[in-house]
Amino acid sequence: QNKITWRLQTYAGAALAEHVLDPAIKMFNQIAGDRMQIETYYADQIVPTGELFQAMQRGTIDAVQSDDDSMASPTEVTVFGGYFPFGSRYSLDVPVLFNQYGLNEIWAEEYAKVGVKHISAGAWDPCHFATKDPINSLEDMKGKRIFTFPTAGRFLSQFGVVPVNLPWEDIEVAVQTGELDGIAWSGITEDYTVGWADVTNYFLTNNISGAWIGHFFANMERWNELPEDLKMLFEVCCQQSHYYRQHWYWGGEARLRVHGEKLKLTTIPDAEWATVESAAREFWEEIAAESDVKRRVVDIFKQYNTDMEKAGRPYRYT
Amino acid sequence: MRGLMRGYIRVADAVNYRLGRIVMYGIFVLMGVLLWSSISKTFFLPSLWTLEMAQFIMVGYYILGGPYSLQLGSNVRMDLLYGEWSLRRKAWVDLFTVLLLIFYLGVLLYGAISSTAYSLGYWKDAPVSYLFGVLTGTEEVGRLEQSSSAWRPYMWPIKVVMIVGFFLMIVQCLSEFCKDVLRLKGEVI
Amino acid sequence: MSYELIATLMFSTMMLMLLTGQRVFGAIGFVAVVAALLLWGDRGGFDIGFSAAMKLMKWYPLLTLPMFIFMGYVLSESRIADDLYKMFHVWMGGLRGGLAIGTIGLMVLISAMNGLSVAGMAIGATIALPELLKRGYDKRMVTGVIQAGSSLGILVPPSVVLVLYAMIARQPVGQLWLAGVVPGLLMAAMFIAYIALRCRLNPALGPVLDPAERDLPRAEKLRLLRAGILPLVIFAVMMVPFINGWTSLVESSAIGAIAAFLAAVMKGRMTREVFENSVRNTLGITCMFMWIILAALAFGAVFDGLGAVKAIESLFTEKLGLSPWMILILMQLSFIVMGTFLDDTAMLVIVAPLYVPLVGALGFDLIWYGILYTITTQIAYMTPPFGYNLFLMRAMAPPEITLRDIYASITPFVLVMIAALTMVMVFPGIATWLPTYVYGN
Ligand code: NA
Ligand code: NA
Repeated sequence: QNKITWRLQTYAGAALAEHVLDPAIKMFNQIAGDRMQIETYYADQIVPTGELFQAMQRGTIDAVQSDDDSMASPTEVTVFGGYFPFGSRYSLDVPVLFNQYGLNEIWAEEYAKVGVKHISAGAWDPCHFATKDPINSLEDMKGKRIFTFPTAGRFLSQFGVVPVNLPWEDIEVAVQTGELDGIAWSGITEDYTVGWADVTNYFLTNNISGAWIGHFFANMERWNELPEDLKMLFEVCCQQSHYYRQHWYWGGEARLRVHGEKLKLTTIPDAEWATVESAAREFWEEIAAESDVKRRVVDIFKQYNTDMEKAGRPYRYT
Repeated sequence: MRGLMRGYIRVADAVNYRLGRIVMYGIFVLMGVLLWSSISKTFFLPSLWTLEMAQFIMVGYYILGGPYSLQLGSNVRMDLLYGEWSLRRKAWVDLFTVLLLIFYLGVLLYGAISSTAYSLGYWKDAPVSYLFGVLTGTEEVGRLEQSSSAWRPYMWPIKVVMIVGFFLMIVQCLSEFCKDVLRLKGEVI
Repeated sequence: MSYELIATLMFSTMMLMLLTGQRVFGAIGFVAVVAALLLWGDRGGFDIGFSAAMKLMKWYPLLTLPMFIFMGYVLSESRIADDLYKMFHVWMGGLRGGLAIGTIGLMVLISAMNGLSVAGMAIGATIALPELLKRGYDKRMVTGVIQAGSSLGILVPPSVVLVLYAMIARQPVGQLWLAGVVPGLLMAAMFIAYIALRCRLNPALGPVLDPAERDLPRAEKLRLLRAGILPLVIFAVMMVPFINGWTSLVESSAIGAIAAFLAAVMKGRMTREVFENSVRNTLGITCMFMWIILAALAFGAVFDGLGAVKAIESLFTEKLGLSPWMILILMQLSFIVMGTFLDDTAMLVIVAPLYVPLVGALGFDLIWYGILYTITTQIAYMTPPFGYNLFLMRAMAPPEITLRDIYASITPFVLVMIAALTMVMVFPGIATWLPTYVYGN
């Protein structure tokens, strides 16, 4: 029997993948042994992230770890991946939305249409600004060139932020060469892990989303060729990767805010930040108006957030 | 046959020469965009589009300018052995190796075609016939690929530029091939 | 087939293809796509070549490439450097070997205005070389002076090689450029010391200039110094806003190109012919570089797909069991060996990505290593049979300089460069002091 080999490329660079991808794949390879091995590649390594989706459809890459937004997947749900502004408060919101509020089914359907198997969704960190100069008010955001997700960038541009899109691995250098003034791509754990904390000075504690939504995908044909037990093993390892991130980020965010020494914390007062939150509600409507599928997803987000507010503490404190 | 080759060389070289002569001024367009980028950043809000636009211009510059650079002989060769050879021997060797170069360009062209088809919303595995279909109106344009930046430009125009560039590179290489054939038949080129 | 065997096959096929004299990008690109097709077939074999084009598009620092090339051509074609040469001619001519020493000074100033060695080579070969030969300087020595001097173009900022290195090693270009300043000046000083010593031992190599040629009135001599202002202004216009973060890297390069262009216009040197040559050659040389990088990126992606980085790491650390310093020295040696038969740009794009992660993992400073890498590249540029500088020198040198002269001329200078390389290795502060001082905290 021939050994199956897969190529999996993540949108994350090597330093981050060491945490968010490598352990799960190592586990998979060890268990699958001679039956199947997955080779991992990092951001832009085999194909540039912009071409990642296409490469998976065509089978250049067998599986992918990414959010929908940064790999520009040609689906109706792309805008919700990465950071959908104020869509979630905590990282646990994401698995609940997918498993209990019906997002899994929508995603599976949308990706099947374009020949891709959606394996599972998981949460990463919240989205904060890390910048060279401090942000203490909305005024300070104006004119800043920020590396961020496409949809988040579209939303933030109304506050004068200038979103810039560059290859992930080039961000650190781009901050130093002056192409960027900062980053709104991650929480503080990632800032420290990948070296961005070394090139920026300030961290804004207000976030535009509580958790990143990202997934594992596979080329549909490759997926269908797998024997059932290997499919199951792969799914389990993906779940393990999601679970690891839940506590790695949750603990890391708090620890580095309190004990980290590289970034100074700044905060925009709640009253002022409320204008951003209300702008997000309008932005949701704008998105929902674009198509039926988007309307369905936005409705789910609304329903979920209403439920959480009604549930009160510890789900919501306001 | 020789007449046909001479005709082909004349047309191919002329087209690529004209195009290259236009594209070479792209350096000033690039300069302008980058200058505007620093001006707008200093005095107004930074522009959303400058860096990406500059990247597109650069692609047009070196890919469309490629055939003209072949005419200019700008592309280095390792001339350890080659430099010492007679014109005739150079022509003989080039005759074969330029086919390998054309093969490489052909793979690039195929890649550009399938990527363009993707950018027009086609995801199956017959991109060439799909693109023909689009041109003749028998195929529909689907979901257009947009760059994942805040500016969100459509990607198909730059990919079409790359198709044209790779195609014209092949055209130019075939012209070089013909020149070598004629040289071997004793003509002075 | 084992990965090592595939990798070896790929490299040897590429060497064979290069020997046929086909254009470098064609040789590399062909091997890359054939390897991709054989290894991956229709599961991506067709896509790797084109993916490289999209990757290249996103490598934004390469936008500086045409800018620096254009700058270099404007400087050399418009003969702005004539005045500079005259300055050194008059001021240094009285020393033994003074014109050669002055030429090194000229090369340092030209290096500060452009990012490649092409411009220095062109200016050296067309302006300095004929003058030096006319004054009875030893032809082998001066041929070496110009080649060695022009290679400073990639070490003294701005430098395209360091931009490419920065892309690959993910290090800040500003710090890398500053790190090149002191080693560049040190190397220039060592060249000068070598020339002075040789000419003291054998005055016939570099005779003192006839007083009639250099005894200008004092006021006139001082006026000549003004020529030296222009390069400093162009350097400052480009570097000051960049180092201060007012303009980004690519914007700064455009400003530098515009500054050089305006300088030529204001001096009345921007004739139709100069304009035509600068614009046309910029396209030609940019295409040469970009197509080589395009092909080399595809080659690198296939290599990467084979797990070459891990293979190199295990080869050096586990199989050979070497100490970090031994590994570093072996790497530099392998660059020099490869540089004798592989194009320098292709070498950077294909080989550096394999080495840099290991250098970082061994705990070495990647800014410092960038300078070691650049000096090694300078050596590779100059050593036969394959070298971009040799290629240019052959094209530009006057007929009385034979190929044999060119080859023979470089030996002492390569030895000086190896000495400089060793010094930077032993005293890393030579490279790291300035960036630490300027960027501090
Ligand atoms: Na330079
Ligand atoms: Na060499």
